[in-house]
This record gives sequence, C-alpha cells and structure tokens, in this order.
Amino acid sequence: MMMWTIIILCGLITFITRFIPLSGIMPNELSPLIKKTLKYIPIVVLMPMIINSLSIYNGMELFLLENSKLYAALIAVVVAIIFKNVFATIFLGMLSFILMSNFLYI
Amino acid sequence: MAKWTIFKQGVLEELPLQLGVFPFGVIYGIMAIESGLSPLQSFFLSSIIFGGASQILFVQLVSSATPVSIIISSVAAINSRHFLYGISMMEFLKHLSLSWRLLLAYLLTDEAYAVSIRKFVGETSNQFLHYHLLGTGLTLFITWQISTLTGIMIGENLPQFLDLQFIIPLTFIAIVVPMINSISIFCAALSSGISALIFSNLDLNFWIIISAIVGLIIGTITSRFDKK
Repeated sequence: MMMWTIIILCGLITFITRFIPLSGIMPNELSPLIKKTLKYIPIVVLMPMIINSLSIYNGMELFLLENSKLYAALIAVVVAIIFKNVFATIFLGMLSFILMSNFLYI
Repeated sequence: MAKWTIFKQGVLEELPLQLGVFPFGVIYGIMAIESGLSPLQSFFLSSIIFGGASQILFVQLVSSATPVSIIISSVAAINSRHFLYGISMMEFLKHLSLSWRLLLAYLLTDEAYAVSIRKFVGETSNQFLHYHLLGTGLTLFITWQISTLTGIMIGENLPQFLDLQFIIPLTFIAIVVPMINSISIFCAALSSGISALIFSNLDLNFWIIISAIVGLIIGTITSRFDKK
C-alpha cells in the first residue's frame, strides 16, 4: 500500500512540473538565473547516483584499479560521447562489464 | 493543413525515435521487476509517472531503501527539465482549453518535445499545432506501455546470476553525457560526483541532496567561464 502511495505522489509531482508552465499562472519570461539553475539540476542529481553505483569507495579505501564497473562506465561514457544513443551506451557498457568481470576477473 | 493531417505528421515524425525508446522501456521493465516492485506496480508506474529517467531513478532509490522524502524530491528534481519544455511551448499552447492543456502536459516528455518543438517553431501561424504534440505524445505513450510490458515479462523469467543492477548507472550515463555541453555543466557534474564519494557514508542517503547542492553551487560559480 505504501509503495502505491509513493508511486502516486511521484506521478503527481511529475505531472505538476509539466503542467505549471501551461497553467497560465506563470510569467511569460523566467529570470535567466532560474533558467540556468534548472539546466544543472538533472545532472547534479544523476551524477552522484552514477558515482555511487560504481563501488569506488567504501568509506576506507578507494577501488580504482580492480574495478570492472569503473572501466565499463568509462567505456560507456566514450560510447555516449560518440553515438549519443541510449541503447548503444547501455548495451556496450553492459557487454564490457560482463566480459571484464567473467574473463579478465577484474 | 487540417488537424488530423498534422496529427498524422506528428505520429510519423515520432516513429523513428521508437527504435531507441522501445529498448529503453524494456530495460526499465526488467529493472523494475529486479528491484522488487510487483508486475502491476512496474506496469502502472509507466502510465502514472510516464518518464524514463524518473522511473529508472525511482526503481534505483526504492531498491536501496531510500527514505520517501528523498525519493520524491529526487524525482521532482529530475523532472525539472520538463518545466523548461513547458515554458518553451507555453506561447503555442496557452490559448487551448483546460482539458487540452491537461492532456498535453501529461504527454510532454523528452522525445515528444524534441520532435514537436521543431514543428512549432517552424510553423508558428498554424492553429492546429497542438495536434502535432498529441501525435508525438500518443505514439510515445503507446510504445512506452508495450515496451514496459515486454520488459516485465522478460524480467520475470531472467536467470538470477546476471548482475543487471549495473544497467541503472549505464542508463544515467547515457542521459547525462549528452547534456554536458558547457564548462559550467561539466564542473557541476564533476563536483557533484566527487561530493557523492566524500559524503557517501552519511545517514539516510543525505549524500544525494548534499552532492546536488554542491554541484549547483559550483555550476553557478563557474558559469562565468561559459562561452556566451
């Protein structure tokens, strides 16, 4: 039941952010500072998520060398820069992760 | 041009993008099941939230037992870009009836916006432009529901040994990297990433909020170095 409540709340938030500009309550032009800040938000939320999923740091030491997730993520970054394609990035990143962790034992 | 011709044009222009959207929907469906959501919850998330990045983020946070307040504020933060989309479409849509605006706000996603705004800007005088957004939005909605369902069915039958959780950061990489197009955005990304490492031991996942604030501050400070 709790889960459904969270789902519906997130759905409402999503809808409201899409509807507010069309609701007629907004001024015609936003201040440049607000526009610029809005541009950073998705990136500063997603970037920490990415870093945190790569198991780089456990609170004591850094894992940079024997970390197949980190290498696969770097490959995915390169693929994303070159192809700008969501599916190619996920596919090649996942493939390199599986290959490295199963055959190179990184 | 008659309204249904414009609607059809929206549908046809949106179709090629479905090649990218469909696999993304399948991946979401698989991840939702992997994270412990029920098939029904996984499916309805696609119509209740209807936004790829938000849904994947939701699944990631739910599976790591994040407090509800952080789940909701993170989803809201990710959606802030739709706010910008709405603003740039405002002048074309604000004269419509309330029911039209409610419907189009619901359908306003990345891929529908990207295709329809080109049409809007190119043909400002046409009075049926909103039928174009209806076409792109509905096409996307239908693909999203079918691909989610496909992912849920695949997810329920997948072997357990595959470490599929790694798909989530890869999805985020695919979304974030093309957005980095200025020095200040790069600095914001870098500083929020480093903060995530430094603050990762904080209780209740507060590192999410703190890292985002650090990134925002650094991005704003470094924005003077961006090319005008």
